[in-house]
Formats: sequence, structure tokens, C-alpha cells
Amino acid sequence: MTKSKIVSIDEAVAEIPDGAKVALGGWIFNSQPMALVRALIRKGARDLNLIPAPGSIAPDMLIGAGCAASTVCVFISFEQFGLAPHFRRQAESGALKVYDLDGPAIAGGLRAGICDLPYMPIPDLGTDLPKYAPEHYWPLPSKPGERKMLAVAAVKPDVCLLHAQQADEHGNVQHLGPPFFDAMIAQASRKVIVSVDRIVSTDTIRRNNHLTKLPSAMVDAIVEAPFGAHPTTSPSLYRADDAHLKEYVKSSASTDAFVGYLDRYVRGVAHSGYLDKIGGSRLAALGVSETNLK
Amino acid sequence: MASKPSLGETLAVLLARDMVDGEKVIIGTNSDIQLAACNLARHMQAPRLWWISGPGGMVNPTRDHLLSTADFENIESAESWMDLPVMIDFIDWKIHFFDFAILSALQVDRFGNINTVVVGDQRKPKLRGPGTVGISALCGLAKRFYVCLTRHDRSAFVPRVDFLCGAGHMEGGDSRERMGLPPGGPKLILSPLGVFDFEPVSKSMRVKSISPGVTLEQIRDNTAFDLVVEDVPPTTVMPAGHELDLLRTHVDRRGELRRKFP
Repeated sequence: MTKSKIVSIDEAVAEIPDGAKVALGGWIFNSQPMALVRALIRKGARDLNLIPAPGSIAPDMLIGAGCAASTVCVFISFEQFGLAPHFRRQAESGALKVYDLDGPAIAGGLRAGICDLPYMPIPDLGTDLPKYAPEHYWPLPSKPGERKMLAVAAVKPDVCLLHAQQADEHGNVQHLGPPFFDAMIAQASRKVIVSVDRIVSTDTIRRNNHLTKLPSAMVDAIVEAPFGAHPTTSPSLYRADDAHLKEYVKSSASTDAFVGYLDRYVRGVAHSGYLDKIGGSRLAALGVSETNLK
Repeated sequence: MASKPSLGETLAVLLARDMVDGEKVIIGTNSDIQLAACNLARHMQAPRLWWISGPGGMVNPTRDHLLSTADFENIESAESWMDLPVMIDFIDWKIHFFDFAILSALQVDRFGNINTVVVGDQRKPKLRGPGTVGISALCGLAKRFYVCLTRHDRSAFVPRVDFLCGAGHMEGGDSRERMGLPPGGPKLILSPLGVFDFEPVSKSMRVKSISPGVTLEQIRDNTAFDLVVEDVPPTTVMPAGHELDLLRTHVDRRGELRRKFP
């Protein structure tokens, strides 16, 4: 029998080399792989090239902690809390190289990556995107009267970090809410690391097999990380922690304040220690129940 | 008697009025006003409006209060939800699947091109925005689109967007068609100061109606290009009592629009 795919959080990120192309799953404040992101910062990752699905604090914290040399930007936003603070600051200072991609370029690029094709065609939508990311967009020849087309380069992350609600030891991953781009990202990535809020038995997986969005053959490592998406939401299990997101934004106003934030919540703090700092009653209150849907 | 509508409520009602029963609509992230407009239209003239949230893939989530468009709890009240890789084909590739999209922007220009990427140079921007996501495809491929802005000043209404990430009428005239884009483009731009459409030949932004208490001078002072003005533009017809009642009792019971966009 092969080994279980369950590994510790530090083991999971140990082999991600500096300079790697790291994709991040979820969507804005949904299922950001935060426990894995914090582990990557603890490990002192450097010069990463990020490929986030439309995201928020996962790419922003890696950028703020000095782990990223570049990022793809499909959409990086803090929604009702404003612009992503570190992404914004480092993009504006020129410290961070940003490759702006639109939906067709990330979706087409991932599909090309999945299918081992060098590129995918997309219609030329008349934007300025190709001008600023010629590595990702180039014109395709067309006959007179045909639609103008662009090629978008294959996107092939070295590794992806995802968060889902549950998995078994074989690496069958179940999403109890929208999987967003997670399955495409997993298919396109050379290595797939998934944190889950809970490990369940294979019997449980089989009983609800329609929820298995990532079958075990697509997954390399599973990390058990309860509340591993905190402070973002893990659909159907817990809501986003708006107070913590506000604290993060506030702590991102100055370098000193952000060093303080990282010292308190990230550097030298194991995942269990992080949860202790957030506090049991706070976490419990984020749990989804009829009473807090009001 | 209902209290005066807030900015968010007014914009939601103005958008809702323009929706036609049976149309297919898409809205994006952080879209409280847009979401309210769709659900309000379903309570008024467009009960069979079919709307979907881009990120969550939920179809017609109809709660009596507003939740973020990516919020998984919307799923509970949706007719269906579509996996993103499936939805992407409708959003990013299919021509005219959506009758319209409702978007927001950092900048909009005289031809209705929009920018959510950067102010200034992309390589060293003055202001780094959130990015493009589906905006390029929706502006390019939907039958029409709306732009809803909660501010109107010379930094938002610019002669030419610093980064074109959603094509409006491009350089005006027939340039959009010459670029090879399907027929479409921006229909209305809504701001706190007024409602704007596009002159049919030049495709230049035109004043359609002016918010009560606002003057044409004020609009001109806050717009960094020359707007087309024909005759004397009428005053925008503000939300009626029954529209506001429906909005407050069936769509936004918790008063999110009043709180977020006073």
C-alpha cells in the first residue's frame, strides 16, 4: 500500500524552492490557502513568482513579507476594505513586477498548461494588456475578414497551494462550496498541495463522491489545517473574519506595524499557535450556523 | 413616507429600470448596487431576468438582503451554481451570450472605455488598482454594458483611460467595429451627478439626464473632457416611493446600500 498523502504543514512547503512559480487558489475572500501561505513566510521563501486566482490576502501577505519577485494579477482586491495594501505599495514603487492578465489569459493559459499546448487562442478584445505583458499575449496570424486573435501563453505553475474543506488520506479533496479555479489550477500545476479543515474517512468521501472536485491522482500532498483559510472563508464551514481583515489592513499602513503583525501571527508561530492567538471564542463565532446568517 | 434615497439606492433603481424581462445578466465582485438592481428588476418589470454572479457562479440568488456576490451563502438561495471552468466559456469566449454586464471602474473616458488596472504607467503606477478579471471579455462580447460609478470627478472621467482593460467605443466613430469586436459597447454611464449615454455617430459621451440639484456647469467642471450636450438635458427621474419600498423590503432589508453609499 502506498503511503498516506497527509504531511505536516512545514513538510508540505519545505520543498518549494526560492524562485518557484507558485499558484494560489480560492477567490478573493474565499478559501485563500492562508495556513500554507503563513508556513511559506515562516520558511523564509524568496523571489517567488505568484500566480494567484483572483485573490486577496494570500498574495498580498506573501508580497508584504518580501517573498515575491513578481505576480500575475488577474484581480487582487480587498473588496469592501479597499485596495490590497502590499500589492498596491510594491506595484506603485516598482519593487514588484506585475503581469496583468485578464480572465481569458488566465483561463486560456491554464487550459494550455493542462493540455500540454504552448498557447491557447483568445479573441483580441482591444485592450492594452498585450502591450504590458507581451510574454503572455502575442498576435496570431489571421486572414482578411477573420476575427483578430491573440495567443495566450501556457500557464504552468511549479506548485499550487489550495484550501478545501475536507479530504481523505489518499488525497481525494472535497469542496463543500464553489471550487472556483481550483481544479484548473491543480490540473495545470506540477505539484499540488491542499490544506483542508478536516481529514475524513474514505467512506465519507465515497458517500458524497459528487463533492470530490480533486480526485487523488491530481493531488500530491494534503495538510490538515483546521481554520486553514482564516481570516478568509471556508465555504459552508466558517465565514470570513472581517475584524481580522481590518486589523491586517490597519497593520499594513507602515513597515513597523506590519513587522509587528508578522511577528505576532506568522513568524515563529505554528498553525496551532496562530489559532490560539485568534482565540477559541472568536473562531467559534465564525462557524456557520443559521443564527449568524442574519 | 419613505426617506430620501441614498446614492446607492438611486443607482440601483436607475439600473433596474433599464433591464428587460428575460435578459441574461452578469455582475462581478464587490457589486452591491449591481446585485440590488438585478433583484429589484425581478420584483418589477423583469421577473424572468436571469442573472449570475461571475465569481460564485450562482444563478438568481434572491435573498431579501444583500450579500457579497462571491459569498457562498448566496448558493443556498440560488437556482443553480455553475463551475467556473464552465462559466468561463460563456464569459470569456461566447459572443452575445450575456445581454449585458454591469461594471465599475477607476476611470472611464469619453468613448466609454474603462480602466480598473492602474492610474499612470503600468510599470510604476500612481495608483495600482485591482486588475482586469472578466471585464475585457464582458465589455468586448456582451451585447451592451453599464458602468456604475459612485464618484464623479476629473480623475474618474478622463479624456483617455490610462490603461484600457475594457473596450467601449475605442477611439469613437466605428473604431470598435473596425477593431473586429462584435456589436455592443457601453449603453449608460451612471454617476452621482447624472446619467450619460453616447451620441450615435461620434460615440462620444453625452449628458442624458442630470441629478436633481446638480447643474450642467458642475458636471462640466468635474469631467476632464467635453461632453456632448443636446438641448437642455432633463432632470433624472428619481426613485419613486414604490420602487424604494420594494428595494427596502424585498432586496436590501438591512439597509446595506444606505450604509455603504449614503
